[in-house]
Amino acid sequence: MFQIASWQDAFASPVTCALVIAVVVVLLAAAAAIALVSVTGRASPAMRHELWLRLGSWLLLLPLMIGPVLAGRAWTIVAVTLLGLLCLKEFSRATGLFRQPVVVAMVVIGLLAVNFAALDHWYGFFVAIPSLTICLIAVATIPQDHPESYIERTGLGGMAFMLFGSGLAHLGYMANEANYRPILLMLLLCVALNDVLAFTCGKLIGGPKLLPHTSPGKTVSGAIGALVLMTPLVAYIAHNIFIGTPLDQFWVLLFLGALVSVAAQAGDLMLSSIKRDLGIKDMGTILPGHGGILDRYNSLLLVAPAVFHLITYYHGFGLDQPTRLITGP
Amino acid sequence: MNHWELRPARDFGMSFAERLKSHRREPGLLGTLGHALWLGAVRTYLAAAHRLEIIGRENLPRDAPFVMVGNHTSHLDALSLSAALPRHHGRKSAALAAGNVFFGNLASAMFAAAALNALPIWREETTPADLAFLRQRLAEDAMVFILFPEGTRARDGVMKRFRPGLGAFVAGTSIPVVPCYLHGAFPCWPAQNKLPRPGKLKLRIGPPLNFADQPNDPHGWKDVAHIAETAVRALGA
Repeated sequence: MFQIASWQDAFASPVTCALVIAVVVVLLAAAAAIALVSVTGRASPAMRHELWLRLGSWLLLLPLMIGPVLAGRAWTIVAVTLLGLLCLKEFSRATGLFRQPVVVAMVVIGLLAVNFAALDHWYGFFVAIPSLTICLIAVATIPQDHPESYIERTGLGGMAFMLFGSGLAHLGYMANEANYRPILLMLLLCVALNDVLAFTCGKLIGGPKLLPHTSPGKTVSGAIGALVLMTPLVAYIAHNIFIGTPLDQFWVLLFLGALVSVAAQAGDLMLSSIKRDLGIKDMGTILPGHGGILDRYNSLLLVAPAVFHLITYYHGFGLDQPTRLITGP
Repeated sequence: MNHWELRPARDFGMSFAERLKSHRREPGLLGTLGHALWLGAVRTYLAAAHRLEIIGRENLPRDAPFVMVGNHTSHLDALSLSAALPRHHGRKSAALAAGNVFFGNLASAMFAAAALNALPIWREETTPADLAFLRQRLAEDAMVFILFPEGTRARDGVMKRFRPGLGAFVAGTSIPVVPCYLHGAFPCWPAQNKLPRPGKLKLRIGPPLNFADQPNDPHGWKDVAHIAETAVRALGA
């Protein structure tokens, strides 16, 4: 189960090869551009430092994102599980949920169970876990006999599980598809690119703010620009991945592209709302130049379940693969 | 109805190393589990190796915050006082420990933070602002502080005068101070020995003291220390 895939298997899909090469080219181009502005003195020392810091973080993050996907199905699911746990940790420290260890423990149990269901390739268990975990969170603190703040702690626990447990686990479950690598790489890379496009379009075009009280830096032009550019790009990549399947229809592909961009931006704005409500700038300090893990991966939180169910409707995940690999007879 | 306060961790934004040595450190799920496991192991060890007898447990307040103070001749003191606490206080209890002993290097700091939930007191570096913050945290976070106002383990086993720092936490508040006296710790594990040896321990817990009428100033702190010391000595007599 935890065998590392051969190079031939890892790069069996030409889309996988193209996406990985594109990442390498973009990183090299970014390094060259930063070096250029550094040499010519067109950026202040502080800006140069910030740019190198961000590039350095990407050089660390991208292998951590791409590596498990290339390595194999189980590695991908383990990486998604760890990502969910790290996101949960940041969320609970920021909101104060960590002061309710029983609730956090229930969220962790649910998170591990739903990712186990993905690893087992047991869809029935995978879709049962969310409602069962919410039940668990709802009853777990009742024996403490402290009804004060029951609604708040239960609500926060449920939200944490749905976002970082159930929501993110959809990414892991996708790895049960035989040709999962290009799908996951497309999502991981396009979601990251969507942030860059929104930022760049906003800076180049300017104009009115999108939601100034929620995220003062975002503009309407940035949001629309990212949507307009990302939709055909995702549609084109998806066409090459799902060629000849029921998903390979012009309007469906365009809808998929738009869904990725809108859900990514919605995830970003969701985290901005959480941070504004808490009065904090970043969710952590672990990634220099980015903030916390959640600051970097917020856009994935809503994309994962949204895209999973759209693709499931037209194509499915792992329908021709063996199921219940661990719990089966 | 109780208003839920969306309040980030007090140590939010700190690096791992900063958290370990910070008075702002708050344990999460892993810290709580680690502390609970450690307390379970300590209770088992104290029962098996030292036949720890606890007298006056009913004097411990049901609800935090409160402060436990005791005589200090051995590392067994903090272990015994923390073992006497009911389990529901586990996550909220913190031993105030000598920074140079417990937080001198990364490994011991990790142990002190994860297992003991200890907060460091640095002999030369802890400022009045630090003490004021700990006073505030004791009340706001409803914690249980375990502290030894002599300041260090008595090398000869004889109880020394209490320092006034205790008063900085409780003078002028209704936070109770619970006096404790541990018999038998010095022969089992004096400061000069690296490891403990088996022997009988008896912990006496006295009725809580209240210092709401003491002024929160150096004079009040001295009085608090004197009254607490007298109560602890009485338990040891």
